[in-house]
Amino acid sequence: MAEKDKVKKVGDILLNNAMYIIIALAVVYITIMRPKFLSLSSIVNVLSLTAAKLPIALGIGGCIVLTGTDISAGRVVGLSACISASLLTTAFKVFPNMTSPMALPVVLLIVVAVGAAVGFVNGFSVAKFKLHPFIVTLSTQLIVYGIILMYLMNGVNNGQTLSGLTEGYRDFITGALFTIGGVAVPKYVLYTVILTIVMWIIWNKTTFGKNMFAVGSNEEAANVSGVNVAKTIIMVFMLAGVMYGLTGFLDGARIASANANTGLNYECDAIAACVIGGVSFVGGIGRISGIVVGVLLLQIIFAGLTFLSVDPNLLYIIKGLIILTACAIDMRKYLVRK
Amino acid sequence: MKKFLSILLALCLVASLAACGGGGDNGTAAAGGNEGGGSSSGSADVAVFYYTYGDTYISSVRTALDAALTAAGVSYQDYDSNNSQTTQTEQVTTAITQGAKVLVVNLVDTGSDDAAKNIIQQANGVPVIFFNRSVSEEAVTSSGTNVFVGTDYEMAGHMQGEMIGNYVLENYDTLDLNGDGVISYVMFKGQEGNAEADARTQYGQEDADAILTGAGKQALSFYDSANSNRYLVDQTGAWSSAAATEYMGTILSQYSEANGNMIELVIANNDEMAIGAITGLQNAGYNKEGGKVIPVFGVDATDAAKAAIAEGTMIGTIKQDAEGMANTIATIAGNYLNSKDAFEGVDAANVVGTWRVNIPYGTYTGE
Repeated sequence: MAEKDKVKKVGDILLNNAMYIIIALAVVYITIMRPKFLSLSSIVNVLSLTAAKLPIALGIGGCIVLTGTDISAGRVVGLSACISASLLTTAFKVFPNMTSPMALPVVLLIVVAVGAAVGFVNGFSVAKFKLHPFIVTLSTQLIVYGIILMYLMNGVNNGQTLSGLTEGYRDFITGALFTIGGVAVPKYVLYTVILTIVMWIIWNKTTFGKNMFAVGSNEEAANVSGVNVAKTIIMVFMLAGVMYGLTGFLDGARIASANANTGLNYECDAIAACVIGGVSFVGGIGRISGIVVGVLLLQIIFAGLTFLSVDPNLLYIIKGLIILTACAIDMRKYLVRK
Repeated sequence: MKKFLSILLALCLVASLAACGGGGDNGTAAAGGNEGGGSSSGSADVAVFYYTYGDTYISSVRTALDAALTAAGVSYQDYDSNNSQTTQTEQVTTAITQGAKVLVVNLVDTGSDDAAKNIIQQANGVPVIFFNRSVSEEAVTSSGTNVFVGTDYEMAGHMQGEMIGNYVLENYDTLDLNGDGVISYVMFKGQEGNAEADARTQYGQEDADAILTGAGKQALSFYDSANSNRYLVDQTGAWSSAAATEYMGTILSQYSEANGNMIELVIANNDEMAIGAITGLQNAGYNKEGGKVIPVFGVDATDAAKAAIAEGTMIGTIKQDAEGMANTIATIAGNYLNSKDAFEGVDAANVVGTWRVNIPYGTYTGE
């Protein structure tokens, strides 16, 4: 009996840390095949990619904790990138009357406000009209896409890709934070680290964070124990919107151009990363560290398969299998608890 | 209190909607083109279906075509098929019920003839002008009077390959950074299963190789010998700059001048991906104004690419003539409306048989 328990315990430990084990195995395998994968420049590349994709996932994570989802995320990122690229540029096509680029902090505030506004509409509709977040965010996704298309037709731009960004903007995002061994680490890595810390504090150390988990686990129980459910839901979606706005602000400069396709399907990877990282669709469960691991795993797979010259079609299959496995493990934990 | 808040928000929503509507009215002729032409009867003579409003090049065609039709005094209505053939076919049905006299269709599904034939059947005698996305001769001529205004899609790849071959030949020694006598390149493909992407990926490299080997030089060599595809494809199939930037960053973390295996040439299926690759190169310290430039080639001649070429951070692109295409479509639509011969007033050199007009491409390496 004792022997059996031990085996079960080892099995549990393995399953509970399955994602870390998969990451370790993937890194070891890729490194054996392509030793350069663990070179400094490659590590910095994977970390930069992770930093670029993390904020949107941190935002969506909160919506999933509420047993919801947010499929408007990618389009909000796109809108934010287009706004940033149109205001912080040297070619004023969307607003032909402008003569000099807007101040960076002002644009930052604008995209944060736009993200929060979309988030407010999402949260308000979910909380007050009792609609499923999937339907609400499907609607806002379409609305935001329409706004992007109209925005790009504004002025003399005619739907063209926005480019010609100011040096100041690009340097603020992609400039070297510090250089280590001849490899420059871009500044946006620092911003993402700050955002991650802020989100960790919000999730774990504030009443709002605790309310979010309470509402996610059991809305009625939370309501009975005095949590303002509607306010919490609205705040979670607004916070998520702010994160999308910031992702777009980073992405505009990172890619150095923005168009109607910018941000398309970003939410798919972000939701996948959250699920892989153990943020449960059952609700009320999830950790910031898990989301970081999820995003990191997806980027390791992307970079690793490029290093290995694997047929890109396989990437879809591998991604799909990982998400399926992650969800299965997640549900197993939940069933055991029940 | 809660009720008051709800009412207030509802009012805000209504107000913002009204504001949006107002904004639309004040828009430029191009932005307000959905109801362009100002036909008072409410039904437009020409119905134009775009496969998606999200495509940069198609947006150029749309702006030019809106302007051309307005100038010709033809009433028209634009539809966004949003990348769905189902949506487009339903829109066609709607337009015909509304009494459209000419259909201008930028087909979504180019994989088979069925979608095109279906639209022609629905049109039931109303002439259809297909454009940009290729439709076969069999489909176009299956019944009624229809034409296709497009480009010889393989041409872009051939012209890009020729441009690259000549450029590399002229600058061989400067480009060959590690002096091994071989130019290593990377190819960015827009998506799988698209005839244009296939042709550009194939001919962009093959034709360049033909010129190089013809002059006694080594053929181009894909930077990663283990990759049997010899291209990197945008996983989302969106021909996006983000995909190229991310690939480029990953490649340059492994390949560099210090390692003696730096990428010496970048070929992209379109300008979006070319611009994305330039961003990746810039992040690694290359392709800045006045600095060391790894040559990058694209297709489309978008405004962003033209700006990059003017700065010297990009070398060349292939120009798709959006205005030429729009003007030809407008001419043919006018001919149909006035019961004239379809190709009257169209440059005869571009006409193929009785069913097709090819708008020529051009190379663009700066003005």
